[in-house]
Amino acid sequence: MMKTYTVAKAASKGIVMGKAFVAVQEDLTADSRSIKDSEREMEWLKFQKAVKDAVEDLRVLAKDSDIFAAHLDVAEDTVLHDSVELKINSENKNAQLALEETVAEIVTMFESLDDEYLRERAADIKDVGKRIMCGLKGIKSNPFEGINEDVIVVAEDLAPSDTANMDFRYIKGFITEAGGVTSHVSIMARSMEIPAFVGVADFRKNVTNEDYIILDAVGKEIIVNPDEETKEVYRKKAAEYKAMKAEFESMNNLPATTTDGRTVELFANVGSIVDVENAVTRGAEGIGLFRSEFLYMENTKFPTEQEQYDAYKKAIETMKHPVIIRTLDIGGDKELSYYKFDEEENPFLGWRAIRISLDLKDVFKTQLRAILRASAYGDIRIMYPMIISVDEFMAANAILQECKEELRRDNIPFNDSIQTGVMIETPAAVLCAEDLAKVVDFFSIGTNDLTQYLLAVDRGNQKIARLYNSFHPAVLRAIRTVIQAGHKYDKLVGMCGEFASDEKAVPILLGMGLNEFSMAASEIASTRYQIRHLNYEHCQALADEICKKSTIAEVREMLEK
Amino acid sequence: MVSKKVVVTNKTGLHARPASNLVAFCKNYNSKIFLSNGEKKVSAASIIHVLTLGVKTGTELEVIAEGEDEAKAVEEVVKFIEALED
Repeated sequence: MMKTYTVAKAASKGIVMGKAFVAVQEDLTADSRSIKDSEREMEWLKFQKAVKDAVEDLRVLAKDSDIFAAHLDVAEDTVLHDSVELKINSENKNAQLALEETVAEIVTMFESLDDEYLRERAADIKDVGKRIMCGLKGIKSNPFEGINEDVIVVAEDLAPSDTANMDFRYIKGFITEAGGVTSHVSIMARSMEIPAFVGVADFRKNVTNEDYIILDAVGKEIIVNPDEETKEVYRKKAAEYKAMKAEFESMNNLPATTTDGRTVELFANVGSIVDVENAVTRGAEGIGLFRSEFLYMENTKFPTEQEQYDAYKKAIETMKHPVIIRTLDIGGDKELSYYKFDEEENPFLGWRAIRISLDLKDVFKTQLRAILRASAYGDIRIMYPMIISVDEFMAANAILQECKEELRRDNIPFNDSIQTGVMIETPAAVLCAEDLAKVVDFFSIGTNDLTQYLLAVDRGNQKIARLYNSFHPAVLRAIRTVIQAGHKYDKLVGMCGEFASDEKAVPILLGMGLNEFSMAASEIASTRYQIRHLNYEHCQALADEICKKSTIAEVREMLEK
Repeated sequence: MVSKKVVVTNKTGLHARPASNLVAFCKNYNSKIFLSNGEKKVSAASIIHVLTLGVKTGTELEVIAEGEDEAKAVEEVVKFIEALED
């Protein structure tokens, strides 16, 4: 029977349809049961079979990957096999438990070694252990393997390792129960242009793999088991949406100029080199937020100066226009596999972003040197995240100065007048915006964190998600304060949060005088289209009126007009 | 039992590829082959063991073989280690 569900917010727009594919969250803890002597042989055979399957899979993967080649060696290793066999035969442990213990022992052995490279290999061993464990438990190590028809993935949540395993020829859309519009899956879906809904509570109970789904992330509906007539209607809608997008794109090579001649810049937010390439094709005039974290998070150690330099150089050579690199922004919900963060009561109010950089000076200097060296190739700018004071900005710039002197001494070229700016995402930075404006080269407003900190609302917490709203008068007035402070000292003000591409917010931001809008590359064409149809003078009047409103409802009402 | 010493001279030591290639090479012999760095003696048939030796460039290793083709094995494994690149 056909059933329709309405969803409040689309994480990534588009209309797609396909069979439901409900991803199962697997428990990989070993069965702790002891076995009888008579079961030993059976357990050993099970283990051998699981290894054989893992080896076969890895052999295919190893052909074009050094990582999987190393995994293959581990899977075939005699030490691993001997230890498991011993545990089964002389300790009467079942194959799962024998494997779990063996992997833990080998991992401990590697982690205790006095060699960084080898300590990192512990991760390979764990991964192989996981793969064999999946075999023992009879579950696929990649749940998205073997999909060969159009599907909509329905999952509790999707991690980067999940999305990395997906074949997007067939996976057409996502519906997840966890996550907000700023979570990994949302950001990924937008950059890949995969329509998605996130934070759809308890949705998995509504569907099985036998069902068919229409995901309308434009009209914000999920239709389960539509009849043929409905499918036809949505096929038409999908075609219309595509045509509209094509129209947006037809003017994407023109500047973002309003009907009365005000021109702003449209930049892209990126989280990888592939994203930079994508940004260029989608009409970005620069990179407003280069999330350098990926260099750290997709690594098994702190990235070297050379690794980072290569990435930054590639980015500026690909973009050929300004690239604003945000220095390492970890902590909060972003961790590193190779660095132990202490448990914190309030990670978002804790040791993160610039605070970490100023404490781990060597790590920071490595990044700054890499950025400086790449600045010899184009207009690279540096942006410090989570700034709460002029002091922090000065401290960061003092370290930058040290790096410059080192490079100068060694005759390594760099751009001596490289611009440095701050991300405005704390209430403190808003209140000190004028002081900051005197010393920085530019501002970029990070509305995701700014909203969370101004309203004291955790943006990942579903229970209070309705309170998280960037149209709150406090947020709007904060944005205006920052723009005015920047302009008072002739500094350009940009925005690199989700808000910058919000259709409702764009006229307000334009009217407030925002100079640069940085967004997911997929949003650039429609935002450009919108701005080219707006009148700056009208938007200024609108922004003035909006900032006088005292409730979100009044703001919304004004925007509807 | 036959043994012979050799100094590892390739840049990365017995890491990743070189270690993997060495383990694969040792499987060509019927003899049991071991590597020793003076402190620890491990089976050369196990990548996990070879890696845990932590052999860096400049390390002196002893190649030890026991079995029917032990003399040939030691000779050729030593040559293999000497010829390692990267």
